[in-house]
Amino acid sequence: MNTTIQVYESVVGRPVLQQLRCLGEKLAGRRVVHVNSTREGGGVAEILNWMVPLMDDLGIDATWEVMHGTPEFFATTKAIHNGLQGFTADISPRAWEHYRAVNEQNAARLRPGLEEADLVVIHDPQPASLLALCPRRKGKWIWRAHIDISHPYRPVWKTLRPFVEHYDASIFSIAQFAQLLPHPQFIIAPSIDPLSEKNIDLSAQEIEAVRGQFGLDPSRPLLVQISRFDRFKDPVGVIQAFQLVKKGIPAQLVLAGGGATDDPEGAAVLDEVMEKAAGDPDIHVLLLPPDAHRTINALQRLADIVIQKSTREGFGLTVTEGLWKARPVIGGDTGGIRLQVINHHTGFLVSTPEGAAHRIRYLLHHRDNMTAIGNIGREFVRENFLLTRHLRDYLTLFFALLSGETENKIAV
Amino acid sequence: MDPFKIFDCTLLSKMSGLRPAVNLRELRDRVALCSSNVLYHHFCETPLVPLFDYPDYRNDFAIWARHHLRDEILAERLGIIDPYAHACLEDLRAAVLEIIDDHLSERTMVPWAPPGRELYFMESITVVFDTGERIDHPDGLAAAIDKMTHGSIYFHFLEARRRPPLGLDDFTAWLETLSGDQRSHITAIASIDFPFYTLAEIKKTLVSVLSNKEPFA
Repeated sequence: MNTTIQVYESVVGRPVLQQLRCLGEKLAGRRVVHVNSTREGGGVAEILNWMVPLMDDLGIDATWEVMHGTPEFFATTKAIHNGLQGFTADISPRAWEHYRAVNEQNAARLRPGLEEADLVVIHDPQPASLLALCPRRKGKWIWRAHIDISHPYRPVWKTLRPFVEHYDASIFSIAQFAQLLPHPQFIIAPSIDPLSEKNIDLSAQEIEAVRGQFGLDPSRPLLVQISRFDRFKDPVGVIQAFQLVKKGIPAQLVLAGGGATDDPEGAAVLDEVMEKAAGDPDIHVLLLPPDAHRTINALQRLADIVIQKSTREGFGLTVTEGLWKARPVIGGDTGGIRLQVINHHTGFLVSTPEGAAHRIRYLLHHRDNMTAIGNIGREFVRENFLLTRHLRDYLTLFFALLSGETENKIAV
Repeated sequence: MDPFKIFDCTLLSKMSGLRPAVNLRELRDRVALCSSNVLYHHFCETPLVPLFDYPDYRNDFAIWARHHLRDEILAERLGIIDPYAHACLEDLRAAVLEIIDDHLSERTMVPWAPPGRELYFMESITVVFDTGERIDHPDGLAAAIDKMTHGSIYFHFLEARRRPPLGLDDFTAWLETLSGDQRSHITAIASIDFPFYTLAEIKKTLVSVLSNKEPFA
């Protein structure tokens, strides 16, 4: 993890850092508190792990508080999470009462800091009711929804909505994930850290070592999908596409993911994948440990084409990672993948295994196009989806809210 | 001679508060109702939003008509609209409504977007930064533009037209304040058919016309 903004100058250039420093000067000394439900694991913790130190480096007094809860509380918030994403989630009145009670306990612990802060960012639904429990708050409060709540299970949204509608603003990752709320709703896309283990440049030796470790043939094209073994990531569809490709081109496929074995649904999907892959030595199903970031990085760099054939997806940061490695991406036509994969420019959107196979074969027969597409994709990510842009959007929003300018134009 | 002050800018996108449109009639109703900032966003701020740089058309309504309503005739009619050719945003709104109304009158069925392909109405806050950099002499203009970010190009060449003096880019406005004959530079800048260029293309063309070189040689 990098805690100084300066190290990113070589990647994004001086003007981008100049913008950040300019915003940092305007926000210097302001107290910003982020609240979420876990210090480790999951995308939100990953974001806060870099964002809080970088805000601090820019002169902002940023801190990160984590909810304390019981297993019953986290079971309820998991159900809320699922319900907001549209799955049926019947949450009893007693469970909602416990949700409120745990928020009250946390409010008792965190209230002085939250009420004094200039800005409070509440991440996801777990701490959402803290706002109502801090009646003497002085600053602006923002609710940050990291998930798609566009088609929620109504009973869950009806109960949660009164907690979030009183915030001063909310943030969604893409417009398609938002709900209409009676306050300004901002769109801030997620990002990747170009200097993290998962994305930093690797030496040729390290990349080749990973090729050797998994017995991949350097003389044949390699297709790679990195994702959990989850039905929505459609790993079986990827195998079907690969089998269609192999009829014409002697390719290899890596399906790499991890951490699914303790999840009954994930284990079932993995079993199905293993069964479909059985007997084909060119399909490599890899179960990687959670910290195998450099291995994933190397696999993406070894790939000729990165695949993310999801049938349902959030933003799709594995797509961003693949583009950053200058690889064309074949992506499912869904969610945030649509914002990143543009036909013929950064890759191809597909809806079926047949469509994926068609596009893979097209690319493998047009190597010059692959190189051009890869380079365009990398620059697209550099411009739009690196953490410096993500940080700038947050600081801009903070500045806009504190200066009361949320209408049209602000000068920093 | 006052130096040229170089600014940079970025956009912070926000929802307009309007419900998304699922068909052409809803697009028409939302265009009639939306604020001028929403109209400006979908026609003029597209080069700076995190979308891909080479869409078929330069405004979001034409792109939506082409890709999601699957109505190529409407897309072509909306796509040729040059927002900078209209004296004000209300004129632009009237022109868009005229095209949609004409098209609706020609169609027996209202075109619909498939589920998940609705059009979301957005607007942006423009955040302007003073870079602290200055251009002291018009001879240094091309070299300075060559080093500018896309945000600076957008601010000085496109967004400038929304500020007084209306319809004029900042480079031309600055050159007009200078003593001496600046006509060749002003004419060169005016020759650029910019509405259909990306910011990278505008920058490259500005540099080339100001230094008398072929833009894409």
